[in-house]
Amino acid sequence: MLSAGGGVAAERAAPLSRRARLLSTRLVARDTWWQEFDCPDIAAASLPGQFVMLGVGLDEPGAWLLPRPFSVGWTGPGGEVGILLRAYGQGTRALAKLEVEQTALLLGPLGRPFDTESAEVECVAGGVGLAPFIFLAAREAAAGRRVRLIYGERDAAAVFDPALIARLTGHDPELFTEDGSAGRKGLVTAGLDPASGALLLGCGPTPLLRALAAFAREHGRRLQVSVEEHMGCGIGTCQGCVVRGADGRWVKACIEGSVFPAEELDWGAI
Amino acid sequence: MLLASGTCGYGQEYADLIPLDEIGGLVTKAVSLEPRPGNPPHRVAETPGGMINAIGLENPGLHGFIAEKLPWLREHLSRAQVFVNVVGHSAEDFAAVVSGLDGEDGFLGYEINVSCPNVKGGTMFGTDERALADLVARLRGCTERPLVIKLTPNVPDVGDFARICEEAGADGLSAINTFPGMVVDISRREPLIGNRSGGVSGPAILPMGVYATWRARQTCGLPIMGIGGIRNAEDALQYVLAGACLVQIGTASFVDPGAAVAVHDGISEYMTANGVARLEDLVGALQARPGRGPAIPAG
Repeated sequence: MLSAGGGVAAERAAPLSRRARLLSTRLVARDTWWQEFDCPDIAAASLPGQFVMLGVGLDEPGAWLLPRPFSVGWTGPGGEVGILLRAYGQGTRALAKLEVEQTALLLGPLGRPFDTESAEVECVAGGVGLAPFIFLAAREAAAGRRVRLIYGERDAAAVFDPALIARLTGHDPELFTEDGSAGRKGLVTAGLDPASGALLLGCGPTPLLRALAAFAREHGRRLQVSVEEHMGCGIGTCQGCVVRGADGRWVKACIEGSVFPAEELDWGAI
Repeated sequence: MLLASGTCGYGQEYADLIPLDEIGGLVTKAVSLEPRPGNPPHRVAETPGGMINAIGLENPGLHGFIAEKLPWLREHLSRAQVFVNVVGHSAEDFAAVVSGLDGEDGFLGYEINVSCPNVKGGTMFGTDERALADLVARLRGCTERPLVIKLTPNVPDVGDFARICEEAGADGLSAINTFPGMVVDISRREPLIGNRSGGVSGPAILPMGVYATWRARQTCGLPIMGIGGIRNAEDALQYVLAGACLVQIGTASFVDPGAAVAVHDGISEYMTANGVARLEDLVGALQARPGRGPAIPAG
């Protein structure tokens, strides 16, 4: 596969489709749930930056829901797959109502992961863009490495429980809120250090990714972004999730991303 | 049973997820003479009971398909039958794609897409009786392979267009393609989809597809592939009883990649439970008498 960060990228596993039991679900912030599914083989195969399509399948009479993409937010020692779910619309609201012991259909791991091989890393997360960095920071901590984790939300009510982040990742995030009701006041980009040479990883709303791309360009920093696009299938067949590539092509976020080195995208069109 | 065009890529994408050689086959994403970049995003959205898409027939073109996609199909599938979905702006385009592919191995026949609602002129041939007849006759002269015409539901009577295809030399029909539709973003007061409108698929169109299949069956003797909204064996059997000898699974594969396998197994179970030896015995076996409502009591 392509190497996004200059190092040797890990081999991607073939996707698996699994009906998985919801082990726990917890309201962790306004409209935001942390769900853990019992799905050992997808957990074992996942790499930070990859995602799963989460849906209810076709078994429920009358139910119709296209699956939604979620970053793999964590994998547990018992084969758990954790996702961070913010209810924005009908689909995510329906998935948020899943109860413990109910099952859902997981398809994954999907997409291109972050490539952080032997690099010093700074993760910049906006909102539920935090999810892939929980996974990444936990992996790094397990390997005895530290990452910088900068996390921004609109206000305190939207902030994912910092104690749970610390428990899952072994890292304390540097928190920013736009209104200053938790952490430091300001946009998450206020936490960027122009003097650092670390590899930047970004995940969150498009304006954040655009700001990160501008910062990286200005300061000569390497940047990988995980883009959020609406997807139909997650495996490249529906061609619904395209973004404009730097070469002018429509590139599929699901299989060519969802992690892209910033220079592969046309930031004027995103 | 086949995976429907536009929902299974060129087969390779599903190779790790389902046993393609055990379900029947697939219809490729459309192939046009020249590569097409597709429509700008936003391209897909969920709708009540379905989804809307306006991909714009993004594909690598005839030569790209032969070089990049066909080798995989040829080398990795043995029992699965492959139909290549073909699109064009003009009769010349369609004919050039069919003629350009005809000497290649790795597929069985063609599904001619005269019914895409998401590109300018996409349904031009599918809604004009004369243009359709001329196109089918011309393509008949280009190939001896199975020539299946994918019909659009956006005509007064699908049956008329089915008969035209038969008279012009087609070997089969796919009924039906998507319905044109629109989703409005009320916060921005603009269309949700980049193309403004798109094609609606999914369970919402199941009864329309079954009806189109029944109408086509009444007016012509061609084999019909039923397509539109199939989620499970019960849905597929509606198409079979209405006259389809094959079915295609489309949008349901997005919800569950294993949907086609479940439909396949479910039909076998139905046949066993009902003492049906051959699926042919069910094709078009719908009794044309007035319906009497659900067989199970209300409540």
